[in-house]
Amino acid sequence: MEGLKMGLQVENMNKSYNGKFLFNNFQIEFFEGTITCILGPSGCGKTTLLNIIGKIIPSDSGNLLGFDDKEFSYIFQDPRLLPWKTVRGNIEFVLSRDLSAGKRKAQAEQLIRLVELEGFAGYYPLQLSGGMRQRVSIARAFASPSDIILMDEPLTGLDIALKQNLIQWFSQIWKSDRRTVIFVTHDVDEALLLGNEIVVLSKAPAQIIVRENISEPVGNRNLEESHLKKMKQVLQNALGRSA
Amino acid sequence: MKISFTKKQYISFLSVGIMLVIWKILAIRFDSEFIIPHPEVTFLTVLKIFGDSGFILVAGTTILRGVTGFVISGILGMGIGILAGISTNFNAFLNPMLVTIRSTPVIALILLALIWFSPDSVPVFIAMLTMFPFICTNVIDGIRSVDPALVEMARFYRVGSWRIIREVYIPATMPFIISGASSAMGIGWRAIIIGEVLSQPQYGIGTKMQSAQTFLNVEAVIAWTLIAVLISYAFEKLIRWSERKIVTWRV
Repeated sequence: MEGLKMGLQVENMNKSYNGKFLFNNFQIEFFEGTITCILGPSGCGKTTLLNIIGKIIPSDSGNLLGFDDKEFSYIFQDPRLLPWKTVRGNIEFVLSRDLSAGKRKAQAEQLIRLVELEGFAGYYPLQLSGGMRQRVSIARAFASPSDIILMDEPLTGLDIALKQNLIQWFSQIWKSDRRTVIFVTHDVDEALLLGNEIVVLSKAPAQIIVRENISEPVGNRNLEESHLKKMKQVLQNALGRSA
Repeated sequence: MKISFTKKQYISFLSVGIMLVIWKILAIRFDSEFIIPHPEVTFLTVLKIFGDSGFILVAGTTILRGVTGFVISGILGMGIGILAGISTNFNAFLNPMLVTIRSTPVIALILLALIWFSPDSVPVFIAMLTMFPFICTNVIDGIRSVDPALVEMARFYRVGSWRIIREVYIPATMPFIISGASSAMGIGWRAIIIGEVLSQPQYGIGTKMQSAQTFLNVEAVIAWTLIAVLISYAFEKLIRWSERKIVTWRV
């Protein structure tokens, strides 16, 4: 990852729940402007790590370097859209009130176009399919003036075709602003399709057991290609060891 | 969908028809206009009242009292309900008061109000006091039903507290507020009329009912009762209509 700035670090982090260490002197670095996928067995603390980075919960001790002035966007497993707001209203909801109503609308419309929901700007979430709602949630994350997007297994539970479509839409928008993304998942294929960096965590207390990077541009990857197949094997083996 | 709606209407007509038949049978059975007047005579009296020059003033004053009580209890109920819904401590503080107001017999409140207020204010005070707990309790339930994941999402996105109340809590609570308003209105009209009967303000449906009763004019008592039912029904319809206009997002 030559030429990229590794400006974000979690240093000597400790976090325990009920006397059990989830993280013990944990360290991880992130490249700015890239997508880092964090893989790991369930219960290893992936979501906790995301929440600590996003300052939703505190760590017991340790440092977050480079995160101080950062703002975050979130894409959750459940899209968490306000049912009483339209697609446009949900996206405008996270935009700064300092912007004029016209500017907010224009910005929301632009993102609606990017996730190809043009005809649905005035629809309410209950009138949309699950995949469309998740697209709105992706558009909302990019609409928010944040530095880092945190994604907590947003594709879990969706069928393969929908997953691939969402990855496609996500890549398309991401390429337009190249924001730093930290993406937690337990699905190796998702990580291979979206990650510039892929990190595999061990079971708790979590440690990094594998770190890989993929130089091919996001959005143009074929999982049947030999080097990705090989990397999939490596990641699966690491996950198998960590479970 | 449309067919079942028409069917529902037919069933409602049938229900009204059966009530009229029972009324007619009882009127024939007792055969006394001082006990149960015939329905057709009563409806003529209603029409006569409608045509009376003072009708608008009498009905309008009662409606104005109802609306005033409703607006005051609505504002108080929403404000206090939102606070109690958000803060469990405030809710614990408020709950005994709500239980006391709800459990106190309306007549006891009226007797006290008669001592404290002028005849014109008594019905408004009673309306307010009977409607307030319904609206407040529903707002509290509504606030409690708000999905915490949505509030969390709004906080994650750095949306300010006032906007979270306005754009997350209030819309989520709206179906509860409307349902509370509907129950409050139902009970409120009855309370206003009892208040008017006992406090005898210059104008009011209750005042008219009381004077009709004094002269054993049963026809007029029932005719004014029917008018009160019509007003209550019209407001119920208005609330349901607003619900369809406001809660458009429910598919």
